[in-house]
Order: sequence, then C-alpha cells, then structure tokens
Amino acid sequence: MNLNRRLPYLLLAPSIIILLALILYPLGFALRNSFWFWNLQTSAVPLYHSGLDNYRMVFQVTPFTEALKNTLLLAGLGTLAQFWLGMGVALLLHTHLRGMGFCRALLIMPTTLAPVVAGFLFRYLLEPKGGLLPWLLEGIGFPVPPQGILGYAGTALFAIGMVDTWQWTPFFAIVLYAGLLSISEEVKEAAQVDGASGWRMFWSITLPLLRPIAAFLVMIRFMQLFNSFDLVFVLTGGGPGTSSRTLSFNLYREGLVNYNIGLTAAMTWLVVIIVTVIINLYIIFIFRKRDW
Amino acid sequence: MHWGGAGGGVELSRKIRSRNRIVIYALMALVMIFFVGPILWFILLAFRHPSEAYTIPPQLFFEPTLQSFERTFVDPGNNRPQVLNSIIVSTGATLLSLPFAMSAAYALSRFALRGKDFIMNWYISLLIAPPIVFVIPYFILMSRIGWAGTYQAMILTLQTLAIPFSVWLLKSFMDEVPLDLEEAAWVDGATRLSAFFRIIIPLALPGIIVTSMFTFVFSWNNVLFPLILSKQSTTTLPVGTISFFASTGVYWNQIAATAVVAMLPPMLIFLVLGRYVVRGLTFGAVKG
Repeated sequence: MNLNRRLPYLLLAPSIIILLALILYPLGFALRNSFWFWNLQTSAVPLYHSGLDNYRMVFQVTPFTEALKNTLLLAGLGTLAQFWLGMGVALLLHTHLRGMGFCRALLIMPTTLAPVVAGFLFRYLLEPKGGLLPWLLEGIGFPVPPQGILGYAGTALFAIGMVDTWQWTPFFAIVLYAGLLSISEEVKEAAQVDGASGWRMFWSITLPLLRPIAAFLVMIRFMQLFNSFDLVFVLTGGGPGTSSRTLSFNLYREGLVNYNIGLTAAMTWLVVIIVTVIINLYIIFIFRKRDW
Repeated sequence: MHWGGAGGGVELSRKIRSRNRIVIYALMALVMIFFVGPILWFILLAFRHPSEAYTIPPQLFFEPTLQSFERTFVDPGNNRPQVLNSIIVSTGATLLSLPFAMSAAYALSRFALRGKDFIMNWYISLLIAPPIVFVIPYFILMSRIGWAGTYQAMILTLQTLAIPFSVWLLKSFMDEVPLDLEEAAWVDGATRLSAFFRIIIPLALPGIIVTSMFTFVFSWNNVLFPLILSKQSTTTLPVGTISFFASTGVYWNQIAATAVVAMLPPMLIFLVLGRYVVRGLTFGAVKG
C-alpha cells in the first residue's frame, strides 16, 4: 500500500530528474554568467564580475526592444492569420463535398516540412531576380521592392510571417476540422429548428464549442512563433539591418556569432521572464479548465 | 472514417446548391494551389538543369535531370553521410525518450496524483519554451565535457522536447486502455509491473508506435540543436541544406535535391499516421 502510494512519483521521477537537469544547468549557467564579463573570442573563462552591466548592455548594444516588438508582432499577427485562414479551410472541408477527403490528406504537406526546408522553398520563390512570386506579383500589378521582398526592411518580417502562415494554416485547418466533426448533429439541428441562420450558428454555437481546442492551438502556435529561429535564420538572417530580428535570433547573434556569453546570459534571463509570464497568463486565464 | 458512414455528410452536401458548390470548389482549388503548389514547384527544381534554376516566364515542362541528386548524394556526395546522421540522431532521441515517457505517462494516466495538472502544464511549458535559451549553454557545456559535435550531445539535449511531447501523447493513449483489464490482471495475482507489461504495453502499443513516429519526425526536422551542437561529420540532413548557401553563390538545385530527400521521411510517416495526425500534432489533446 505504501509502495503503491509512492509508485506514481517513482515513475515520474526519472523524466522529471533528467528534464530538470537539462533545464537547470542552462538556466543556472546563464544566471551566473549574466553578472560576469565574458567574451569567448577573448577568453575561455569569465573575465571579471560586471554587476548589472550585461543587463544594461542588452538594451544598449543589441536591438532588444526592436526584437521584442518584432517577435510579438510576428507571433500575434501570425497566430491570428493562421487561426482564421485555418478556420476558413476547415469550413470548406466540412462541406463534405466529393474530393474533400483527398484535399485534406494533401493539405497537411506544408506542416510536415522542416521549417528550414520551408524557408529555403520560399527563399527560392521570393528570389528578386527570377523568383516565381515577384514575377506573379508584378504580373498582377503589385509593386515589388527592387531589393526583393526579403531584402526590404518594410516587408522582411511580413514575409517571415507569411511563410510560417503557409506552413501552419493547414495544421489549424485539419485540427479545427476534427473539432467541427466532434460537434454533435443534434446541437446543430436544434439550433436550426430555432431558426438560427448559418452565420449566427457559426458565431453562437460552433465557435464557442470549438473554444477549448482553439485556445490550445493558439497557445502552442503563439509560442512556437514567439520562438521563431529557423525561418528567420534561412529567410532574412534578421535583416535587412535588424528589421526582422526576433528574440531567438538576437540571442543566437550575440551568443554564437559575437560570442558575447555574459551579455547573452543576461538576455536569456530577460527572455525567460517574458516567456514565463506569457505561459502563466495563458494557463491561469484560458487553459486552466482543461477538460481532456 | 468520419464521413464513411456519411449519413449526415451526404445529406449536408445535397443541401448545398450547385452554384455554391462551384464557389466552394473554386475556393478549395485556390487553397490547394497555394498550400501544395510551392512544394511541387520546389520538387521540380531538384530535377531541373542548374542553368534553368530561374527561367522567367517559368517553365512547367523541361527535360529532367538527376544531376543535382548525383552531386549531393553520389559524387562528391557530401550529403550522403548526413542521411545516416539524421537517422542516428532521430532514432537515438526517440529510443532514449521512450522509457522515461512511458513510465511518466503511466503514472499520470493511472493514479490520482496531487498536482497532476501542474505536472502536465510543466511538461508542456518545456515543450513551448524557446530552445535557443538552452542551446547556447549546452554548446559550452558540451565542449567542456568533450562531447562537442557528438551524436550523444544532440540525442541527450533533444530530450527537452522529446520527453514532454511523448509524455503528453502517450498519456492520451494509455487513458484509453480500460482500467478493468488491468484490474482483472491484479485480481489474478499479477503485480502492477507485470500487469503493465502484459496489459498496458500490448494494448497501448499502437499509441507507443505512433508516439515514436512523431518524436522521430520532430527530431528529424529539428535544426537548431544539430546546427549548434554537431560538427561537419555528424551534422544532419536539414542542416546540410544550409551548406549550399556558400559565399560563391547559391546552389539552388542542390539545396532542392537535399531538401527533397530531407522532406521524404516526414511526409511518408505522416501518410502512414493517417488519422493519428491530429492527435500527434496536438500532443494528444485533440483526439481527431
């Protein structure tokens, strides 16, 4: 009996221990070094205690606020676009017309790609000289900046968001479609008997019933977009200038290009705090009443 | 499966007037062109002659050549070892995560635990935390302990994603194994351990396989960890595509050839997974 009470904790322990080790090491490492001056290019070990200098430098030397703004813009608008486009496609699939099953099976293709592959794919399509998309856009009278859509500060971040939206709208579509199927016919019929129009039914029946699934998808995607690295790396390298830098890419640049470990460590903690706040807000307000 | 019995579906589609039907098909055609078209266009690129990487206006018909695949995988074949590296890292990460995830999923599925919600939320917060935060310290740690560029460095650190994901997905499958069967085994005098191996494992086996396939795909598609923790001889295929971004010019055909090979395993696995795709992509939260 006593063993039985302890058994679940014994079973959980290995995974929790290995994960804690894998998380606490980097976080502890970053916390300690965030108070030290340490550049790997000049020294293999931390050089001297520098107080809060690194935290100040994050804002002075790196475009941290710009990266934060870019990241929130990308994650917010990207998630919004993917959700509603995905919802639209899910409703098309849900008409159950002939051939929709086949479309649904093919539609998952973008989501199966490694983000880095999706990035190359669109870098090719967006290539200013000879790319398919600039050619098409100019064909329909849409002005394309001469340095290309990825090379122009006004469109680079937007392009990253577009590629991510291309890759993940099918994910929303397919999961929301599964959600639509789970809404019982009786609920819908009852609403129809009450004389609800299609539009009305969507807003007051379908959407509220999809809310738990939607909340979950939105959280996952928001955070994955928030962490965007692969697409930024391949598509723009954070540029031109710093116009499409995200927080993850800013960390990468400081840590693994400039090898400024102390500064990166301070930035790591700032990012950890921001992420913790977002995740906890989400858990407290939307995700607490989990019923799966 | 859902539309197989199709009573509701057929009725619904009869209700859709033919004019609306044309609109729906037209919209769906646009959707398919937008989402699937680019992939097909990229696959064609891998078979084009390098001098025809960009031709404006675009050519749909051309004489296909295997030259780019030869360059990348046969002679000099720089990307060939990367296929094996990808298999080693992805398989290694999957196999290592399984025992940890299976025991944790069983505990979460079968016991009334205090703080179960907290533990589940903890796993998922790891899954959606920014990996770059962990990778930079790992980079320094691995060179300190002499693991820089090794397979085990990648396999171990990928567990930060593989274990939380597998716990969530496996739990959803174990929840579906009826408790009665396990209880019957206990009545017959089986210990929890032997009931676990005789009842849970066989009945949850499809779920274990599905989970492994997803973990494999996510590890396969991961670029951040191998980009930073591998060396040239251990790097994986998706990272290999980046190497053609040389200062001497961009070799689009070879990027495409490598990318086509890199995208094949995930696509095939998703095809095989079929109706489990929704569940896997939502970590078991949506049954699909």
